[in-house]
Amino acid sequence: MSEAREDGRIRVTIDGRVAEVAPGTTILAAARQLGIEIPALCDSPLVEPYGVCRVCSVEVNEGRRQRIVTSCNYPLTRAVEVATRSERALRVRRLVVEMMLARWPNVKVVRELARGLGLGEPRFAHPRRNESPTACILCGLCVRLCNEGVWHHVLTFEGRGESRRVAMPYGEQPGECAGCMACANVCPTGAIRFADDPNRPADADRIRRAGFELTREVVLLDKQQCHMREVGTAHLTEIMNDYDLLPVLNYRYGAHPEVPKIASDKFKAVFSQGIADGCSLGCDMACAKAVDGHVLRTGPDRGKAVLVDGPEYETVSCAGSNLGIFEPWAIVEINYYCDHYGLDTISFGTLMAFVMECYEAGVLNRERTGGLDLSPGSIEGTLEVLHQMARGEGFGRIAGQGVRRMKKLFTERFGADPAFLEDIGMEAKGLEYSGYICKESLAQQGGYGIALKGPQHDEAWLIFMDMVNKQIPTFADKAEALHYFPMWRTWFGLNGLCKLLWNDVEPEDNAESGAPAKVPKHVQGYCEFVAGMTGKEVTGQDLIEQSERVYNFQRIFNLKVGYGRRKHDAIPYRAQGPVTAAEYLSRQERYDKQLAEDVGVDPAKLTLDEKRAALRRYREQRYEQLLDAVYERRGWTKDGIPTLAKVRALGIDKVEGLVELLRASGVTE
Amino acid sequence: MPKVTVANLDAIAAAARQRHQGWKAMLMVCAGTGCVSARSLPIRDALREEIGRRGLEREIKVVATGCNGFCAHGPICVVQPDGVFYERLKAEAVPELIESHFVRGRPLEEFLFRAGDGERPVPLEKDIEFFAKQQCIALRNRGKIDPEDIEDAIRAGAYQALKKVLAEGIEGDELVRRIVRSGLRGRGGGGFPTGIKWQSCLAAARQRGVRPYVVCNGDEGDPGAFMDRSLVEADPHAVIEGMLIGARALGASEGFVYIRLEYPLALQRLRKAIAQAREWGLLGADVMGTGMAFDLTIHQGAGAFVCGESTALMASMEGRAGEPRAKYVHTVEHGYRDRPTVLNNVETWANVPQIVRNGPEWFAAIGTGDVSQSPWNGSSGTKVFSLVGSVRNSGLVEVPMGITLREIVFDIGGGIPDGRTFKAVQTGGPSGGCLPDSKLDLPVDFDTLVDSGSMMGSGGMIVMDDRTCMVDVARYFVDFLCEESCGKCAPCREGLVNLREVLTRITRGEGREGDLELLEDLGAALTDGSLCGLGQTAANPVLSTLRYFRDEYEAHIRERRCPAGVCKALIRYSITEDCTGCTSCVKVCPTEAITGERKKLHVIDQTKCIQCGTCMDVCNDDAVVVR
Repeated sequence: MSEAREDGRIRVTIDGRVAEVAPGTTILAAARQLGIEIPALCDSPLVEPYGVCRVCSVEVNEGRRQRIVTSCNYPLTRAVEVATRSERALRVRRLVVEMMLARWPNVKVVRELARGLGLGEPRFAHPRRNESPTACILCGLCVRLCNEGVWHHVLTFEGRGESRRVAMPYGEQPGECAGCMACANVCPTGAIRFADDPNRPADADRIRRAGFELTREVVLLDKQQCHMREVGTAHLTEIMNDYDLLPVLNYRYGAHPEVPKIASDKFKAVFSQGIADGCSLGCDMACAKAVDGHVLRTGPDRGKAVLVDGPEYETVSCAGSNLGIFEPWAIVEINYYCDHYGLDTISFGTLMAFVMECYEAGVLNRERTGGLDLSPGSIEGTLEVLHQMARGEGFGRIAGQGVRRMKKLFTERFGADPAFLEDIGMEAKGLEYSGYICKESLAQQGGYGIALKGPQHDEAWLIFMDMVNKQIPTFADKAEALHYFPMWRTWFGLNGLCKLLWNDVEPEDNAESGAPAKVPKHVQGYCEFVAGMTGKEVTGQDLIEQSERVYNFQRIFNLKVGYGRRKHDAIPYRAQGPVTAAEYLSRQERYDKQLAEDVGVDPAKLTLDEKRAALRRYREQRYEQLLDAVYERRGWTKDGIPTLAKVRALGIDKVEGLVELLRASGVTE
Repeated sequence: MPKVTVANLDAIAAAARQRHQGWKAMLMVCAGTGCVSARSLPIRDALREEIGRRGLEREIKVVATGCNGFCAHGPICVVQPDGVFYERLKAEAVPELIESHFVRGRPLEEFLFRAGDGERPVPLEKDIEFFAKQQCIALRNRGKIDPEDIEDAIRAGAYQALKKVLAEGIEGDELVRRIVRSGLRGRGGGGFPTGIKWQSCLAAARQRGVRPYVVCNGDEGDPGAFMDRSLVEADPHAVIEGMLIGARALGASEGFVYIRLEYPLALQRLRKAIAQAREWGLLGADVMGTGMAFDLTIHQGAGAFVCGESTALMASMEGRAGEPRAKYVHTVEHGYRDRPTVLNNVETWANVPQIVRNGPEWFAAIGTGDVSQSPWNGSSGTKVFSLVGSVRNSGLVEVPMGITLREIVFDIGGGIPDGRTFKAVQTGGPSGGCLPDSKLDLPVDFDTLVDSGSMMGSGGMIVMDDRTCMVDVARYFVDFLCEESCGKCAPCREGLVNLREVLTRITRGEGREGDLELLEDLGAALTDGSLCGLGQTAANPVLSTLRYFRDEYEAHIRERRCPAGVCKALIRYSITEDCTGCTSCVKVCPTEAITGERKKLHVIDQTKCIQCGTCMDVCNDDAVVVR
């Protein structure tokens, strides 16, 4: 008899050979570790063990007794001896397979198992004998994948005993079935087939193969990587806090000691689990999480229990930490009312953060806010502004105009210092910033600043590449990244796809792919989708070019409506560096080091104000250099306008009036 | 209503006793499901009416009780305190009964129990052989209280055990140890020691820092079994008190009773009892004024046999299909809603208060073996059986463990009626086995029954006489299980179908050489290979009949003969010279297979006969025979 070890691992003997495994490992997994094959029909890494085919039965000696167990779900918790081919185990295995063969004589997996066990003609005449080679053998893989894997909850078993069969509710395909075909892909017999391909793709199987590979990765790897199937994007809160990137108190700081109160585990506790995606039918990532039964404490629906769609990371950060609010219920409530009123949680959070900093700095006071205390952290004040905003009343009527207009208003009405407001007002092109601190990543400053629709991070998220992993040190590197990624992400928009499946869950071997930030295997997967749909082979580069045409056209559209020039890519200094002395001091070591190493001044000889001024000059100049580099890489003029050569190369010069618009905007040959 | 507290329970009970003693007599009318079906409620009403008519309503009280147990003789009414037992009552006879019993002071003989035709009447319940050998712990209050009146239950001692643990601060390990020492083993079938189950649950709950649940399994599904139903109908507070004590031991604050929908009366009484217990402060946020929080929720099962299996039951409670899962991780660790969960059967819970009240040693002294070191070393206490089939005194019996099958069948049950002979007794329901007369002297306890190829099960006991074909019996149980198998795992789903096919062809006279070996092979696959207890024990009816009645199988296969004259394909009815030509059989034969003139010998046309046996049943001269 083998013995348990001191390190907690368990020594088990399987067919006389010894394996050391972690407690809870199944016999089947331990046997595979030793290279011992145990046949199994209902086992798959994509779903929890089920233990119903019983083909994997083995005999285990537990000391007190010897018994037959199913190896796929018997967890090893102490030293036992296992015999995978004992007479008693084989008796069960043979009879089970013989009975299956009697019922499904032509199913390949059953026939192969029977041959492997040396079985001849079965001794039974099964009343439900089914001679189809693609008969369902009731292993339940499809039902389990549909329910516990992809959470569509479409397939189920119906009937008892010999009448058991796989079915859909009431025998009809329900609307919840996205036709994802995960069921057909795990089916070992081919019993499930597509009846129809309504979109008439050129090669439906090719699409399904690529799709199932994504399903496999998401179901298998998300629980090891991002846990987005459990908490959505809210898993980012603690990561951003750890990397000093979480917006805190209007983007002044990147971390806060109270963040554990709004970390993802707190939201996991309130998110309903195991439910199909609420965003896109059939998406296996299912990151759209919802709180069921939140009881509202404020506003017109006070006292009601409601379903809240979210919160996501952006809401937790912009409308949570950025406001100094660390109460999950308050964030959920803000989320609900923003949705209810048709407001964006990011814009609301960021403008509220601006209001709070103005209140703290004395630009605002109780008199000016109509009696509201809007100090950072005020939940009551925040929710009241939100309700007023919806009603078009009081201070909410002012705040609802957004950061850009508030800057002007506060200067005109309250005599505020316009330069200070420009520095701390986190907007560009009139849109409020989203939830990342980009001060220490020049590439991300560009990612926000140059983005066509304003400072949203959906064009480029380069902070880790740039700041943490230092993969793009030069201007040329950064410009290349600010070419490739915005174009790549634009491609998702072109096709109505979500980007999360591209790089939130990564393939097992992504780190060895040569360009992990691009996730090459997934880019190839999208090429498979395009080719499968259109019948035309495409490369990743082809996809980028598709985007480039659209992206440049959009930039020119901006130009037409008065926005697409260099001056519109300007960003507030809060996005580039420390505005206040306190901000500087919070990262003094980093800033002093940059002054000494990059700027070439000795911080020890400067006052704090002088250091701030020197750092600002350096960083603002670097941002301009970045714009130059990016414009050049994109084939744009110094003023940020696509050149005539570029639009010709892209073939969008044929658009009526486009070339004339460019010429009128000062673009020359 | 008063709030019951540790301090005032005795006073409440004493006051109730005093009121109780104020009655000159009480008429305990059985209102268990059996007697209600036999129309005992109109009798209850007639009694009340008659008593009212005579102005005796302040002297004589009519109480509708739970199952008395002697179901074969219902409707039953027992007059207390003297214990006169009236059976097979009729509503029309009520005025005469009152007149005779209370006015003339003589029990009405017509409705007194007699052991047989022409025997002397036995007026007192305690003298009736059916009751004489019984010992009631779980059923201690059957027929003695009004199950719909909590005050009556308190009068009879309900909640005294709960008071004891609360007043003396007995809880957690100490309370669990007492259950272990009592040797109590699960009455639902498996016989797993209850205290050890509690111990594991307590440890798991502590380790995980979560509150466990206590659940009562009332999903009695064996054909012919009605122990749990009767117990809940007769004394629901015994179950509630048992669960409260379990909750006290384990630190549970929520409990559930899983009870099948087909038990409307039990459900109604349990609902009422729970509502009353809440009103009286025995359930809820402040149990008996001690601050202990515990409440019960009833969960109605939809009647699937497999839902009596612990994991299937919990799946059903969670709103999923009632299918079992592998139990390598036990439900005491991960049970209902993934919390540590103790699931005990109705009868097990009902034993708990008596163990606490009278002490574990008292309980351990009843039954077999010496459980002082380990509950595995014996079977202590009593067991309730529903004794049915070919037996004179069918009904509900509670006997000490260790009593022999012969005592149950012949002494309590009164033997086989109609001059037939004993053939087998089936214990343990569809999961159990059939034992022949050579096993009649076996002591009934968990381990002996398993060793002989059957099992205790939850307490179904079906007596079979010589007219029973054991192959047909096996087929019947396999048929039942085929219907009830959930179909989740292959050995049970496919194995039962194949067992049924082989057994059916044997009973049709199409059995082949090798079929018995095939049955044994299938039995082994089911026993070793099935996922849950249903499949693992499903072959027992086949394997036990093969073991004890193999020759009967062989007669079917080799001689194409059904010795018991049951299997239609193998029998033929014929009419002997004893026929007097009364033509009774001609009138009832559904296929007009019988011909013959009045007062002359009749003949059955074998080409038309469908072996329904109706002619045999109606023949006045025993002239129809089956071969």
